[in-house]
Amino acid sequence: MSFSQRPVIEAVRLTKVYRTGFRMRRIQALVDLNLNVEKGEIFGFLGPNGAGKTTAIKVFVGLVTPDSGTAYVLGRSPKDHRVKRRIGFLPESPYFYDYLTAEEFLLLSAQLSGIPRNEIKPRVKEMLKMVRMDYAAHLQMRGFSRGMLQRIGIAQALLYDPDVVILDEPMGGLDPVGRKEFRDIIISLKERGKTVFFSTHILADVEIICDRVGIIIAGRMVKSGRLDEILTAEVESIEVTIKGATGKFRKALERVSLRVIESGDLIMLTVKNEDDVERVLAIAREASARVTAIVPRTKTLEDYFMSQLKTAGVQ
Amino acid sequence: MFNRLFSLAVNTFKESIRDRVLVALVVIAVVVMASAKIVQPVAMGEAEKIIKDLGLSAITLFCVLIAILVGGRLVYREVEKRTIYLILARPVRRLEFILGKYLGLMMVLVVSLVVMTAGFYGVMLISRVPVSLYLIWSVVMTLFELAILTAVAVLFSTFVSPIASAVFTFMIYFIGHSTPLLKQLAGMFPSPVIKFFALFAYYILPNLNNFNIKGEVVHNIPLNFPGLLLSAGYAVVYSATLLMISVVIFNRRDF
Ligand SMILES: Nc1ncnc2c1ncn2[C@@H]1O[C@H](COP(=O)(O)OP(=O)(O)OP(=O)(O)O)[C@@H](O)[C@H]1O
Ligand SMILES: [Mg+2]
Repeated sequence: MSFSQRPVIEAVRLTKVYRTGFRMRRIQALVDLNLNVEKGEIFGFLGPNGAGKTTAIKVFVGLVTPDSGTAYVLGRSPKDHRVKRRIGFLPESPYFYDYLTAEEFLLLSAQLSGIPRNEIKPRVKEMLKMVRMDYAAHLQMRGFSRGMLQRIGIAQALLYDPDVVILDEPMGGLDPVGRKEFRDIIISLKERGKTVFFSTHILADVEIICDRVGIIIAGRMVKSGRLDEILTAEVESIEVTIKGATGKFRKALERVSLRVIESGDLIMLTVKNEDDVERVLAIAREASARVTAIVPRTKTLEDYFMSQLKTAGVQ
Repeated sequence: MFNRLFSLAVNTFKESIRDRVLVALVVIAVVVMASAKIVQPVAMGEAEKIIKDLGLSAITLFCVLIAILVGGRLVYREVEKRTIYLILARPVRRLEFILGKYLGLMMVLVVSLVVMTAGFYGVMLISRVPVSLYLIWSVVMTLFELAILTAVAVLFSTFVSPIASAVFTFMIYFIGHSTPLLKQLAGMFPSPVIKFFALFAYYILPNLNNFNIKGEVVHNIPLNFPGLLLSAGYAVVYSATLLMISVVIFNRRDF
């Protein structure tokens, strides 16, 4: 373990309880949450609805004070202005001043971030272009669609050229082209040495771009690590599809398989390992049936996510 | 700090100016003032005083309504609509946020006062009433009263809904104009408990009567300028105190 560099985002046993309603019912949103995000990483924060992702993110941007535990961003308190100046934040389904035009809003954001006055205008123009919203610069945001708002949200988060980018469900409301563009933006941020932390429920997004992921369920971090560690590339099972096996051969095949699915004269067998594949192939040769496909199944993030959800008793 | 404060104030100003409620209130105020012309034939000699009195009262009333209605949802709406996330996640102090909102609404009130006063003078010119600049002093004192009321509204809007905030602020406005009554009340009751609460209310609630000099200016009675200066100072200190309390409440909040 190296002490030369502290993580960019660090959560130590964060706990947060909300009290709501007339009877002050307790809702435990975060339970002893630990988390480290290293410099230059793209970190995916995964969890089902109500898991506490947004709450944790609000702690990291200084909007919520934890009941206990500490959060550090860039080694300091998230409420420190020197830190806030270096964070770009996109809230969950962001709302904007709908009476402002897109450009007015970005100008305001830039002024509040302390961008030098002469750099503000060109920077805003550049951001609008980056998220392909320059055509709507002078329209009031009250007429914007969800995806358009999301784009403006991304623009305002990256306005100051932040070192740390914290995004709460950034892909929400984006169309497939928008998602692709967004992924490209994230990757280019990483290439420039920035640290990106984002929450999502969409596993595919995480699998494509994240270096590491953390899985939060019911306020607890149940697992975090490199994707290839969580999803050991080990083959879980192998599917073999065979055409034209009948009678006793079929019986023999069923005996070596974990699962059998039949459709017409096709049978799809799921077997445990390569030895079993060899057995299946031997039987097939004997039956002079044709093997049409052999597909190894590795564990996907989705499988992992589901199994974690099951063990946590959430469903 | 001042750059950010200014940006926030200007944004609040834009928010209110682009709001139909504000425009409607200003327009109605001018219409009400003009309606004095209709009552003119009723009492020829009194016409001048009616127009002036009604005009100044309308200016106060409608600006108070703006302070209460717009001020009461100033902070609440930002929290409810979650626009506040994007402000407070930036290097902006919560103090700057509250002050910026307050100053923005004060800018709106100054502009409304100017527009309504212009309308008022227009009505006087059309009605051929002798125009006097002395009346402006009443408008100036109204501005200081509004400073207090806006601070009250902002304070409420940091923790209650706009409707509750409007009701409470209006109650304070109402009681604030009858504080002498509270003192009398304190003298009248033998019960020490009632006495205590009446006196407590008397000292803690803003004394808004000092800002009402309509009678003096309409009847050309000489004004007590040192007294007015004192009232202005009182308004500044009182508002600042309320705003500080708002900031303290606001600083403890989660969003
Ligand atoms: N302001 C609040 N007051 C009371 N309870 C809250 C508040 N914010 C969140 N909660 C509760 O805290 C828990 C965690 O909510 P949070 O918004 O952090 O979840 P999330 O992981 O972001 O969910 P989603 O994927 O739906 O966005 C939920 O049970 C929610 O009801
Ligand atoms: Mg969320």
